[in-house]
Amino acid sequence: MTLLDLLWLLPLAGAVVLWALGPQLGRASGALGSATVLASFVCALLLFGAATAPTPLQQTLLAWIPGFTFGLLFDPLSLLWTLIITGVGGLIHVYSIGYMWSDKAIARFFAYMNFFVFAMLTLVLSDNVVGLLVGWGLVGLASYFLIGFWFYKPSAVAAAKKAFVINVFGDMGIMYAVFALYAATGSIAFADIFGKAGTFSSATLIAICLALFLGAAAKSAQVPLHTWLPDAMEGPTPVSALIHAATMVTAGVYLVARFAPLYSLTPTVQEIVGIIGALTMVLGAILGIAQWDIKRILAYSTMSQIGYMIMGVGVGAYQAGVLHFFTHAFFKAQLFLTAGIIIHALHDEQDVRKMGGLRERMPFAFWAMLIGTLAIIGFPLTSGFYSKDAVIYGALEHGQPVLYFAGVLTAGVTDYYMFRMMFLTFFGPYRGEVPNDQLAIATPEGAAHAEAHAASHPPAWLMQLPVAVLIVPTIVAGYVSVSFGSGPSPWTRFFGTSFSVANSVAGPVLPIAEWVSSTIVLLVVACGIVAAYLRYGSPAVQGAAIERLRSEATGMPAPLARAFWFDDAIEVALVRPAQALGAAIDRFFDPHVIDAGVRDVAWLAGALGALFRMLQTGLVRGYALTIVLGAAAFIAYFATLGALR
Amino acid sequence: MIAFYVLAIVLISSAVFTITQKSPVYSVVGLLVNFVALATLYFTLNAEFLGVIQLVVYSGAILMLFVFVIALLSSGIGPLPEGPNRLPHVVGPALLAVLACFGFLMFGALHAPVIPALVQNAAIGTVGSANVFGSIGNFGVALFTTQLLPFEITAFILMVAVVGVVAIAGDAVPQGTHGRHLRRKRSKDREPIIKAGR
Amino acid sequence: MTVDVVNYVSLSAVVFFIGVAGVVVRRNPLIMLMSIELMLNAANLALVAFSRAWVNNAGHVFVFLVITVAAAEAAIGLAIVVAVFRNARTVDVDEVARLRG
Repeated sequence: MTLLDLLWLLPLAGAVVLWALGPQLGRASGALGSATVLASFVCALLLFGAATAPTPLQQTLLAWIPGFTFGLLFDPLSLLWTLIITGVGGLIHVYSIGYMWSDKAIARFFAYMNFFVFAMLTLVLSDNVVGLLVGWGLVGLASYFLIGFWFYKPSAVAAAKKAFVINVFGDMGIMYAVFALYAATGSIAFADIFGKAGTFSSATLIAICLALFLGAAAKSAQVPLHTWLPDAMEGPTPVSALIHAATMVTAGVYLVARFAPLYSLTPTVQEIVGIIGALTMVLGAILGIAQWDIKRILAYSTMSQIGYMIMGVGVGAYQAGVLHFFTHAFFKAQLFLTAGIIIHALHDEQDVRKMGGLRERMPFAFWAMLIGTLAIIGFPLTSGFYSKDAVIYGALEHGQPVLYFAGVLTAGVTDYYMFRMMFLTFFGPYRGEVPNDQLAIATPEGAAHAEAHAASHPPAWLMQLPVAVLIVPTIVAGYVSVSFGSGPSPWTRFFGTSFSVANSVAGPVLPIAEWVSSTIVLLVVACGIVAAYLRYGSPAVQGAAIERLRSEATGMPAPLARAFWFDDAIEVALVRPAQALGAAIDRFFDPHVIDAGVRDVAWLAGALGALFRMLQTGLVRGYALTIVLGAAAFIAYFATLGALR
Repeated sequence: MIAFYVLAIVLISSAVFTITQKSPVYSVVGLLVNFVALATLYFTLNAEFLGVIQLVVYSGAILMLFVFVIALLSSGIGPLPEGPNRLPHVVGPALLAVLACFGFLMFGALHAPVIPALVQNAAIGTVGSANVFGSIGNFGVALFTTQLLPFEITAFILMVAVVGVVAIAGDAVPQGTHGRHLRRKRSKDREPIIKAGR
Repeated sequence: MTVDVVNYVSLSAVVFFIGVAGVVVRRNPLIMLMSIELMLNAANLALVAFSRAWVNNAGHVFVFLVITVAAAEAAIGLAIVVAVFRNARTVDVDEVARLRG
C-alpha cells in the first residue's frame, strides 16, 4: 500500500465506514469525513516532489488483461487537481460540520462527500482513459446524490435528475472516444495513446477530440449543456462550493488539458472549443445580471469563469487556463462558503431582495465576500488578476482576437453582477424578515440569541475558519505565475514539459504588450463597478430599493428572464417527445404486448388443459372404447404385417 | 365336422344372447350355455381335461359367483333404475372398429404360414390310453415339471385375490342389534368430550 | 372340407368381438364383467386349437392359467362392483363417473 494508494483510497474507506455506521456516529461523522480528506491532502503534499520529478510517479494496479492496464498517474497536472480536491475539499468538509450541524442525515452527507472525493481522485489520478471514464461516471453519480440530498424536496430531486441526465449525455462522447482510442491504438493508457497520437488520421483525431469535448461540455456546464448548473444549487451550499465551483465542473478543463497532445494536433477542434468556451463565458455573465438568488448568481458566475478556463485551454493557452482553475477554486469556494454563512444566519434565506445592510451585522462575511469579489473581477494584486489576464491575453497570443474582445467584455459584465450582488446584500437598509435578535452574533441581541441556542447552533469557528483559511490563497495564489527574477515562473517550472506538445505561440495579432492588455481590462472593470454603483449602490438608490427591485423583477427582459430559452428548447425538443413515447408505450405496448404475452401463455396452459380434459370423462365405457380403438390399430398393424411377410 | 358348425352356432348365439339381455340373470344363463358349448368344443379338440375344468370352474364356480352378486345387489332396492345413457353414439364406432379388426385378423389368418391340419396323427395316442395328449396325466406331467413356475405363481395370484376381495368388499356394517358393536365409531371420528376453545 | 385351425380361430375372433361389443355398449357392470369372461374364453379357444395343431400341451397349461387368473379377476371385479354400487344405489356404470376431470 503505497502513499499514492493511500491518497486515493482513504476517502473511499471513509465513505464506506460512514455509509455503514453513519447513523451511529451522528456528528462525529463530520470529523471522520474531514479527517480522511485532509489525510489525503497530507499524502499529496508528501508526494509533491515525486510528482514534479522529470519522470512523474506512475503506479500500475492491474495488468492482467493485455491492453487494459489500470494504474495511477501522479504528474503535475493530477497533482494540482489532487491538491485542490483534497485541500479545498478538506476545508469544505470542516465547514460542512457546521453547516449541516442540525441536519439529521449528516452522516449520509459526509459519506456522499467522501465518495465524491474518491470519485474525483479516480478521475484525475487514472493513467488510462477507462479509469478516467469510471471516475467521470462516479463523479456524476456523486453529484446526483448530493444535489438531491434533501430528497423530500421535489425541486431538488428534479434538479438532480436534470444534472445526471445531461451529464450522461456527455458521457456518451467520452465513451465513444474511449472506444475509438482503443480501436486506434489497442491500448487504454495515456502513455500509449499520446505516443501514437501522431499516427491518427485527421478524421479520427477530430472525432475523438470532439467526442471528448462533448463530455467536457456536459460536465463543465458549457453552452448548450449548461442548464443543469443553476438548478444544481438545490443542493446544500458546501456541495455547491465543492462540486459545482471548485472541482467537478472543472473536470472538463482537466480533460482538455490532459488530452493536450491530441488537441494540439487539431486546430479545428481547438477553435470550436475556444468558441464554445467564449460563448459560455459571455452567456453566463449576462445571465448573472438577472438573478435574484445569491447562489444562482454565483452559479452563473461559475459557468462564466469555467468558460474562461475552457477558452484558455481551447486556444492552447494551457498554463493560463489551468492557472485560472487554480485561483478560481479558491475564490469561488470562498465565495460560496461565505454565501452559506449568510444563508445560514438568515435562516435559509437566499433571495438578495430580502437581504441588505448586512455589512454592520455580519462584518466577517462582508470582508470575506469583498475579498472574493475583488479576486473574481481581477482586481490588481489578487490572484484573479493574474489568472484572468493570463487567459485573456493567452487568447490574443494564440491568434484569436475575437475571443480576446469577448474576454475583455465579460470581465466588465462580471464585476457588474458581482458588485450588484455585493450592494444588494450588504448595503442599504435590511429588507428581510428575520428579527434582529436572531440575525447574527455581531449584534448584542444576536449574541444573546446564539448563546441561548448554543446546543442547536454550530460553533461559529467551524464555518468561519475554512473561509478565513481560504482568504489567504484567494489573495496570493496568483503569485506563483509571476516570475521573480529572470527564470521562468514557479508555475511554468511546475508544469515543466506537461504541455510540451502544445502549439507554438502564434504571434499576437495586435502587437500590444501584456501590461497594455491588463490596463484595458482594468478600465473596463472600473466602468462596470461604476455602473453597478449607480444602479444599486448609491444611497439614493438604496432608499427606494424595495420598489425599484420589484419593478426590475417584473420588467426583466424576456431573454434574461427565460435564460435565453435554453430550458424551454430542451423541454420541447427532448423532454416532451420522450414523455410522449413513454406514455404511448404505457398505453399500447405494455398492456397489449407484454402483458398479453404473459396472459396468453397462461391462457395456452389453460386451453391445453381443457383440451385434454375432454378425455377425462369418468365414463368407464368411454375408456373401454378408447382401449378397443387402440387395440384395433394394433391388431390391424400386426396382422397385416405378419401376413405380408 | 358337423359338430363344429353346430357348436359354433350355439356359441355365437348364446354370446349374443348374453350381451343383449336386460336382466342379468338371463345373461348368466346365456353365459352358461356358452360355456357348455365351449367345453364341448374343447372335447372335439382332444382337450378333455380342459373341457372338464372349464365346466367345473367356469360354469360351476364363477357363474355362481355372478349369481350371488346379482342377488346381493338387488336385495332391498327393488327394480334397479338405470340413468341416462351418457354415451349414446358408442355403437357405431365400436362396431366399425370391431369389423375392421375382424377383417384384418382374417386377412392375417388366411395368409398365415402353414399350420398343421387338425388330423389324427401319431403324436396323439388313441383315446383311452394312458397319458395321451389332452389327458389329465399328460397335463399333470407338464404342469408339475416343465411349467412349475407359472403354477406356483398362480397359487400366489389366487391368494392375493382372496385377500383383495376381503379387503375391498368385506367391510359392510350390518344393520340392527347384531352389528351394534361394529357400528360404534372409531375414537378419532367421535366428538371430543372437552371442546377446545370457546 | 375339413375343419382347420382357421375355423376355430375365426370362431374365437367372432366370440371375442361379441364380448368387446358387450363391454362397450352395456351399462350394467355385471353384464360388462360377463362380457369380459366371454373375451377370455374366446382367447382360450384359440389357444386350445393351436395347442392341438402343434400337439404341444404348453398351450393347455396356458389355458389352465388363464382360467385361474380369470377366476381371480372375476372375484375381485365383483368385489369392486359390490363395494362401489352398494353406496351408489344404482347399477349403472355411467352414474359413477366421479373420476371426471
